[in-house]
Amino acid sequence: MRRSPPGGYFGKVLIVDLGTGSGRTAPLEESVLRSYIGGAGLGTWLMHRYCPAGIDPLDPRAPLAFVFSPLVGTPLTTSAKFAVVGKSPLTGRLTDALASSHFAIAGKLTGHDAIVIHGACQQPSVLVIDQGEVSLAPAGNLWGSPADHTETTLRERMGPAWRVAAIGPAGERGVRYATISHDGRHAGRGGLGAVMGSKLCKAIAVRGRGKVASADPAGVLAVAKDLRERSFGPATAKYRELGTMSNLLTFNAISTLPTRNFSAARFEGAQALDVGEVSALKQVARSSCASCSIGCEHLVKGPGGKKTRMEYENLFALGPLCGVSDPEAVVAASSLCDELGLDTISTGGTVAWAMECAERGLIDAPWLRFGNGDALLSAIAQIGAREGIGDLLAEGSRAAARTVGDGSEAFAAHVKGLELPGYEPRTLQSMALGLAVNPRGADHNRSGAYEADLSGDHDRLNGGESHVAGAIGTENRAAIMDSLILCKFLRKVFTDPYPEWATLLNLVTGWDVDADELERTAQRIVLAKRMFNLREGWTRAEDWLPDRFLSESLELESGRKATLTADRLDAMISSYYRGRGLEPSGVPQPSTVEELELQALTTDLDK
Amino acid sequence: MVDSAAIVLAGGRSSRMGSPKAALDWHGSTLLRRVTGIVGRAVAGPVVVVSAPGQALPELAASVEVVADPREGRGPLQGLAAGLAAIGDRAQGAYVSSTDVPLLHPGFVQYVLRRLGDDFDVVLPEIGGYRQPLSAAYRVDLLGTVDELIAADKMRPAFLFERCRVLHLSGEAMLEDRVLARLDPRLESVSNLNEPADYQRAHALPAPEVQVRRFGPLALRDTPRLQSVRAWTLGDAAAAVGLTLDEHVVAALNGDQITRDPHLPLAAGDAVAFMVADAGG
Repeated sequence: MRRSPPGGYFGKVLIVDLGTGSGRTAPLEESVLRSYIGGAGLGTWLMHRYCPAGIDPLDPRAPLAFVFSPLVGTPLTTSAKFAVVGKSPLTGRLTDALASSHFAIAGKLTGHDAIVIHGACQQPSVLVIDQGEVSLAPAGNLWGSPADHTETTLRERMGPAWRVAAIGPAGERGVRYATISHDGRHAGRGGLGAVMGSKLCKAIAVRGRGKVASADPAGVLAVAKDLRERSFGPATAKYRELGTMSNLLTFNAISTLPTRNFSAARFEGAQALDVGEVSALKQVARSSCASCSIGCEHLVKGPGGKKTRMEYENLFALGPLCGVSDPEAVVAASSLCDELGLDTISTGGTVAWAMECAERGLIDAPWLRFGNGDALLSAIAQIGAREGIGDLLAEGSRAAARTVGDGSEAFAAHVKGLELPGYEPRTLQSMALGLAVNPRGADHNRSGAYEADLSGDHDRLNGGESHVAGAIGTENRAAIMDSLILCKFLRKVFTDPYPEWATLLNLVTGWDVDADELERTAQRIVLAKRMFNLREGWTRAEDWLPDRFLSESLELESGRKATLTADRLDAMISSYYRGRGLEPSGVPQPSTVEELELQALTTDLDK
Repeated sequence: MVDSAAIVLAGGRSSRMGSPKAALDWHGSTLLRRVTGIVGRAVAGPVVVVSAPGQALPELAASVEVVADPREGRGPLQGLAAGLAAIGDRAQGAYVSSTDVPLLHPGFVQYVLRRLGDDFDVVLPEIGGYRQPLSAAYRVDLLGTVDELIAADKMRPAFLFERCRVLHLSGEAMLEDRVLARLDPRLESVSNLNEPADYQRAHALPAPEVQVRRFGPLALRDTPRLQSVRAWTLGDAAAAVGLTLDEHVVAALNGDQITRDPHLPLAAGDAVAFMVADAGG
């Protein structure tokens, strides 16, 4: 007789075949849940389990998982999050994109810890999941519409209890960095919106009427109250009062603001994009995600009065990275990305690459110049429509550079095909390592190693052993936060994170996880992602940074040169491999596999 | 400019001062802490303090290395040899300083080191009519020559200068550099303290003027973002604008290193950026 699932879980996954519109459930054993928790961790396990090796991410058989977590539905602040996990059409490697919204709560309360979709609809459709009942409805004229319109229309049609995750036109047209959105937020990186689009699935509508109990409801309530109070403290002041937009001037002051496709790290137009300027000009409201007490969202007025969420990453990517200092243009560009369903980082990174190529005469687009806000908007519109140069740029900077050739690859700022976020690796050398080795590619959410660089505990310009330790530590902590799931803006609230996280998890599940076990779980999740990539053909050469970062120095305001050499990066990567228990090739050592109980995944490598 | 390090000679007897100079208070810090901090700001390589055998030193930054001079009281060449040996192959050039120069500016150190290229073994400022061998830059590969001089009991720096290529820099020539002229117009970097009266005079000087800017939520209060304050250390600068360096507040000096070390010495013209420790996304 099967045991009851632990608190916070239903112990099952819903598997939907879009080709037939049918669903079935499969059990999730407690050992799997305890080993991978939920969110990004459980999603990784699901991909090992359900993703055919070597499959094209846009093949109908490629699975796409919406993964919840044990904390979803509890009163713990920032816990209404879920992960979308799949093989990225941008990188060809594993990607997991997190988002916060009521979709997480409603999706979980359908009675499942995860929903995995595979196959493709016969026509553009909406997947409807009402508790355990699965059906397809024609998307009709929603096909072609922005995601927020789709969401609004479906909820008006179906009722307010329904929650919707949808793609925009970019996902429908297979733009390889298209997003999946809901409540105005996006599961953004890696192009999983294109995977959904390839399945002709415009949206997923969920209604949950189930209940899931915590093992110790009173205990959960007490820690939730404590965590909520702590979330109002100085550790979250920046997010609460200004949002992440305030990073822009700070990063500019310390030569960490990627500018004009990473050709500089300070932007002369930064002041015009300061949060104070943007907010004074256009701010209309502050907001927060579902179940969040921090409230980091800063909404500004976009074209036509539309509310647009502005944060550091879209501000940097569509501003300094493209040399654009006009806040109106940057907000309009961000709003257009939202409407089309585009990841703003990859959009900005790809357009910045194109601007540099155009200025160097490598592509024939004389209208596309750094600093030209109209050109930026035009390029984004063409990407969303896959028209003109947009069809090339819709493939992402790596693939576009391969097509253009002529040395243009040197200017494509990506790792594993994923465009770099707003952290200059030459002046943040722990982050340089984190960007290089992360399974998802150049990413600041799975590797927050900039935290070590900005701590003051080491020389951020001189990467070495302490930088490696910083990168491993932040990667491990991210793996747990992304699996529990809790917002990383809470991370400084936890003074002793592993024991505190273990307490939260135990109160919900009834387990007796301790800090050591949780840290091993973090290592397991990080390596499980790596092992998925290994199965898909990863080699050590992919753990690397573009040559620009290794051949061009940056000069700081102090006069000091920030230089990251290939030798230094290689030494840090080798040290990282040793620290993670990997062979020099980057493959996990047998002893590591055994210690972290990853044996079941190694069989995948033979598939 | 070559890869650079710094050597601070702390083993002198301080007989005229009457107490060890290294431990003399400098506005809440010590003379040695200040000088090691200043040279540390100017070089990418190690900072080595050469002490006398058994000499007690005040607290220093964790990154500072300490080596004991094997023989006490034999003068600067002995200390220079110990310092150069400690640096080894980690740098090609070293700025060598005494302990008693609290007005030393990192811009002065950088200027002197910049002149140490392939054509010279020593860059030797001559200011106020005096050679300044303890405010000078030396190639690290001079160690063999220095050891030979010590073995021959030729302990004066002048013997070394006779045997290598020396760039003599007059004060007037140095001040033709606009950056140095702005940062240290009277070349007070070489003003050393020999007697208590020197110390008292220097100690009574106003602190250097620095520009302070607050970022993010630290800038929300009713004060201008950019302020000019006088401060000997980073902790003083923070206090001057009502901040405390703790787990939530860090600083960047001249857009360079991120630090929360309140003892970090400041110098005229510095720009200090205070930001929240959680400066990422």
